[in-house]
Amino acid sequence: MKDKMPVLTRRDFIRGTIGVTLGASVFGLQWPRGEARAAGTSLVIIVRDKNAMDSTKDVDIAVLEKMLAETLTRVTGQKNTKDAWLSLVKPNDVIGLVPTDHLNPTHDEVVEVVKNSLIDAGIPKDKIRDAQGGPRNPKKCDALIAIPGLKAHWLTGIGTVLKNYIMYSGSPSSYHKSNSSKLGEIWNLPFVKGKTKLVLVDSLYPLCDKGPQPDPRYQWNYNGFIAGTDPVAVETVCLKIITEKRKAIRGETWPLSPPPICVEAADKAYGLGTSRMEQIQIINYGWEHELLL
Amino acid sequence: MKLSLKTTFFLLAIAMTILIHGGATGKMNAGKLNLPKTVGVWNRPDAPRLINSKNIFKYMNGAGELYLGYRFRHLEVFDYTSADQGNILVEVYFMESPDDAFGLLSLDWGGEPVTFDGSAVTKSSQSFTASTRALYGGGLLRLWSDDMYARIMAERETPASKEAVLVLGKTIATNTQHPSEPGLTKILPLEIDTGWKLRVDRLSFFRSHLVLNSIFYLSHENILDLDLSAEAVIAPYEHISGSGDPKRIQFLLVKYENPERALQALNRFHEAYLPEYKKEITADTAADSPRLFKLEDGWLAYKLLGKYIAIVFECPDPESARAILQKNESNLLKKGGGS
Repeated sequence: MKDKMPVLTRRDFIRGTIGVTLGASVFGLQWPRGEARAAGTSLVIIVRDKNAMDSTKDVDIAVLEKMLAETLTRVTGQKNTKDAWLSLVKPNDVIGLVPTDHLNPTHDEVVEVVKNSLIDAGIPKDKIRDAQGGPRNPKKCDALIAIPGLKAHWLTGIGTVLKNYIMYSGSPSSYHKSNSSKLGEIWNLPFVKGKTKLVLVDSLYPLCDKGPQPDPRYQWNYNGFIAGTDPVAVETVCLKIITEKRKAIRGETWPLSPPPICVEAADKAYGLGTSRMEQIQIINYGWEHELLL
Repeated sequence: MKLSLKTTFFLLAIAMTILIHGGATGKMNAGKLNLPKTVGVWNRPDAPRLINSKNIFKYMNGAGELYLGYRFRHLEVFDYTSADQGNILVEVYFMESPDDAFGLLSLDWGGEPVTFDGSAVTKSSQSFTASTRALYGGGLLRLWSDDMYARIMAERETPASKEAVLVLGKTIATNTQHPSEPGLTKILPLEIDTGWKLRVDRLSFFRSHLVLNSIFYLSHENILDLDLSAEAVIAPYEHISGSGDPKRIQFLLVKYENPERALQALNRFHEAYLPEYKKEITADTAADSPRLFKLEDGWLAYKLLGKYIAIVFECPDPESARAILQKNESNLLKKGGGS
């Protein structure tokens, strides 16, 4: 008789055997693939400004523009915004912007600032489009800029970077239950793979519990951008910020539940980037109050 | 039909309260809820948006699973807008039973308790109180009223928006029944002789494994065979030691449709969670005495009690695990369960 597949449980987290169990039960033998990845370092840039958004949640566009310029040059190592964009995308690329469109959505101002910055860099306006939605959208794009909002998610632990492409699967609800750990596979779909040139997380007003439905008790002015070209590294840093905020709120460790397996799986099963903090170089600029790192 | 003087006065008082505090126009035509068309500077459209189980994901993406994890009937959404004070979102979830509505509120007991009947606000550490039916924090009011669960959220929290939110909450809660919390929640003893105290403020009622995972992660698979026919309650017990460092365990009680379903679920749980331990669960053996296991995070104990399963997680010693199970079993029997 064929042996039954092991079931991933709480005990795997305590023992540190998520990989072994998940690999066997969900991903077959592919789990070690990520382990063999070159142990490089991924850069994650955090840019914050205490004036980016005020207590009434009004966003200052001029401040956002400066923050974006700082973010782009730091992520790419280029001297100015134009060179930064052109090191990420080609002038004739069709560029899809992928904000979170629903429930704690990406601020419209952030999307607008990104769009204007691309136009200023010489990208024709008609080559920039909103690519959030079904699988047809990324198929029409040469490059994608992921612009999710930072939030915890009650089904997946975190619902920021990896979850931002869930509509590209064509069957988002199939990722709500046991398959929620497999969000990384969407990034490897043929019409998505390799297209993401920048991940820019809108962390002006994150949500650290009860997401995706907003709950102001768990939201706060972080007033930042978190960015990089490695989606898993950016998600890992987001995770750290959310975790630290939760601890600050309760005054004790308050783990995300369920644990965000999708992040480790994106690294180890799908090879999308690194989820290991020791392989992530975090550089922050600007406002340092409650950096939470 | 004649109304008594007392009833007439009561109804008049409610109407006056809405008019005075909310600036309502008196046009109350939003179905059962009778929400005012205007409250303060906020106005709503004539009709609510109606959300059901078929379009709930379109409305709220994966958050819809939370409501489908209870027995959800439909949702009415009212968008109150203002010129310059931000909006107020009113979501009223109509559930199959008061237990389901209670369950949604029970997922977070944080916030400032609010009453709508003028009674004093109390937050008892001993038991749920009738007053803990509405909680406010940061601009969001959550309330349980009969078979309704409501979220009323001001985009911008100001004294005026808070007042409007509370007026809307009161309107929803007025003239509804105030049933007791689910019977299952009353089984859990508040204290165990050995010094363990129930954290009532962390007690949650649920039916779905997704909801369980959002409170206490067990497995991405549904290893306890939970579904909408099941009822479950989970809460920590805490023990304050001499050093002041509290120890905390999790206690889970699930009620199934019948003893056969409970036995089947316990078998599945054992197989998935305790695969290295030999399984010898039958209706007789499981009911005899609790089974105890030393795991990575402490002692786990479970017992089958007719159509109930009781499980203790993360216990520091077997004696405590046994005592917590025994006391809960005793309460269950006193309240007529366990068969």
